Amino acid sequence: MNTTREHSSVTGIVGGAWLVGVGGLLLGLQIDWNGSVSGTGWVSFAIGALLAVGATLVRLRGDAARHHDERAPRAGVADVSLPRDVPGILAVVTSFLALTFLISGVLVPGGPWLFFEIVVLGAVIVARRQRADGGRWLSNGMLTLLAAMLLFRLWIAYQGGRNHWSLLSVDIPVISWLPFDFLEPVKRVSLGSFTPDEFGFPPAGLSFAPTLALWAVGFVSCVAGLVWAQTSAREHENDRIHALIRTLPGGLANFVERILPEDEWQSLGLHGLPERRLARRIETIVAERMARQKELQAALDAGKLLAQTNPGGFAGEIYRSIVDPERRVGADADGGTRGSRNDAADDRRSRDDDGSPRGGTHS
Amino acid sequence: MVETGTGAGRGLSLAIGAASVLFVVAIGVRGVPPAKSVAPQDVIEEGPRIVEPMQFLGSGAKLRAAELDEWIAADRRARFKALRDLVFHLDGCPPLLEWIASMDGQRLERLLGELRTGTREEALAGLTLLYQVARATEWKPGVMTTTPQAPAERLGSLFQDWLRTWGEKSATDPLLSEPAVATALVYGRVMYVAQNAPVIGTLQAPLDRARTFLNELLQTGPSRRSPLGELVQSRHGSALSRFVGTDDPLSGFASDALTMFPDLKGNCSP
Repeated sequence: MNTTREHSSVTGIVGGAWLVGVGGLLLGLQIDWNGSVSGTGWVSFAIGALLAVGATLVRLRGDAARHHDERAPRAGVADVSLPRDVPGILAVVTSFLALTFLISGVLVPGGPWLFFEIVVLGAVIVARRQRADGGRWLSNGMLTLLAAMLLFRLWIAYQGGRNHWSLLSVDIPVISWLPFDFLEPVKRVSLGSFTPDEFGFPPAGLSFAPTLALWAVGFVSCVAGLVWAQTSAREHENDRIHALIRTLPGGLANFVERILPEDEWQSLGLHGLPERRLARRIETIVAERMARQKELQAALDAGKLLAQTNPGGFAGEIYRSIVDPERRVGADADGGTRGSRNDAADDRRSRDDDGSPRGGTHS
Repeated sequence: MVETGTGAGRGLSLAIGAASVLFVVAIGVRGVPPAKSVAPQDVIEEGPRIVEPMQFLGSGAKLRAAELDEWIAADRRARFKALRDLVFHLDGCPPLLEWIASMDGQRLERLLGELRTGTREEALAGLTLLYQVARATEWKPGVMTTTPQAPAERLGSLFQDWLRTWGEKSATDPLLSEPAVATALVYGRVMYVAQNAPVIGTLQAPLDRARTFLNELLQTGPSRRSPLGELVQSRHGSALSRFVGTDDPLSGFASDALTMFPDLKGNCSP
């Protein structure tokens, strides 16, 4: 086992956990105009946790479905990846909390907009299940959606920070141009109004600039921590599998690793299995692949069959190289002399094309 | 694997423990309640005291102005009474610049300076006189003058002097907190009038002067606000937001001051 790499993967998981923790801390704070720090409240956190649970279940189902398609007909929910040691558990907890912090960090804290965002996120999660692209805690599409929602929340916070309690204020043409104070109430129309209480703003008002900095850094920190922890967890699982294979004699272990390349281990469902089931699964997959290899070899050995169906020309030469490479090498050594019927057929085809033989001599 | 008994294993355990604590803290901070808005409590003071100080600044001040006499130091009480009678019976809406340059106006200005350096009750008494002068003189910009902003700027400087002395310490004073907040708004309104004095266009100098002073008084920058700034924020948050974040910073102050004192228009109209 590569001890340095093992240490690196565990370090990566812990580092990712730290990043997620710091990010969650920053996403949970807001600063008012007096410089006081307060929390963003429990409501959005609770809803974020619920949506993260839903996304996790969808991911597990996606894992099971994917493994069912790719590996074994009897695969099911029991084949989902589960953490098998402390770093693995930390990676899962980190990923779940990162998703919770991210969702709760981008949700608006209350009001009708909150339910609108819940519906959008729920629809995206369900759509993700239908695509069965599980296996990742945060897809690129989901990340884009969360970033857009963060932008929306920042816009609302910006408006609230200016004591503008609406999403948008549109000046009414002509009326808004007139310099009369008594027209002030009808000079503009507000769209998407909200109240400070709905969004949990502190009584002294939300100081936008430092809060923006907190939330933006928190969001980036959570995403970076999640990606780091995920990548490290995958490496950690690969190290477990590698360690098991390395219990075989050296040459045999090398052979097994050639048959089962490392970059296929996750898609083959080897991650997250207990050691006993992991060994059995590797046995099964090696047996399947060896059987397939032998079938292929047997098909290649049926050289005569291929020679009889040789169409000649470029394709024919490739066929012949596969079926009888020694004969092909011998023909080249004779200065391009070809003695087979295919050569004659080849030359005839060449004459048909341009009226003169091309290259080589004819028997 | 990292052996749990080794130094690396202990380090890993510590790191995981610290990450867990960080997770708990990250969840826990969401419940931190926001700081309550600063509101000075009504303090029951020993002995006699002035109640409802805002009534001395409103249009009905003349009904109670005489109550202030007993709070003035004996050596200036007579002058205060005389000037109080004078300003509360000022007729004809004289132009502020002319009146303040007159003998009576100079006497008043000297007395205001003395009252500013006196007790809190004397500070309130001085403010009462100042509001009455603003109510009884004309400081609205003239159309045909070369310096239409001058009367409003002059009045603004009188308010500024009072705020400079008492603004900061008034925030936690039950007697002066509300008058100080109101005076900050009125100062903003007066300087807004000066800024918009020309018939065409606006003046930058009054705006810059008012903005610099109010920024210093309320500490509206990114750092923590002053106690008076917190009071203004809690009572007139919209005005303060407009002061911080718009191209027309004094408009919020002007609007709120006009709502609070509709008779302070600079033309003696009720």
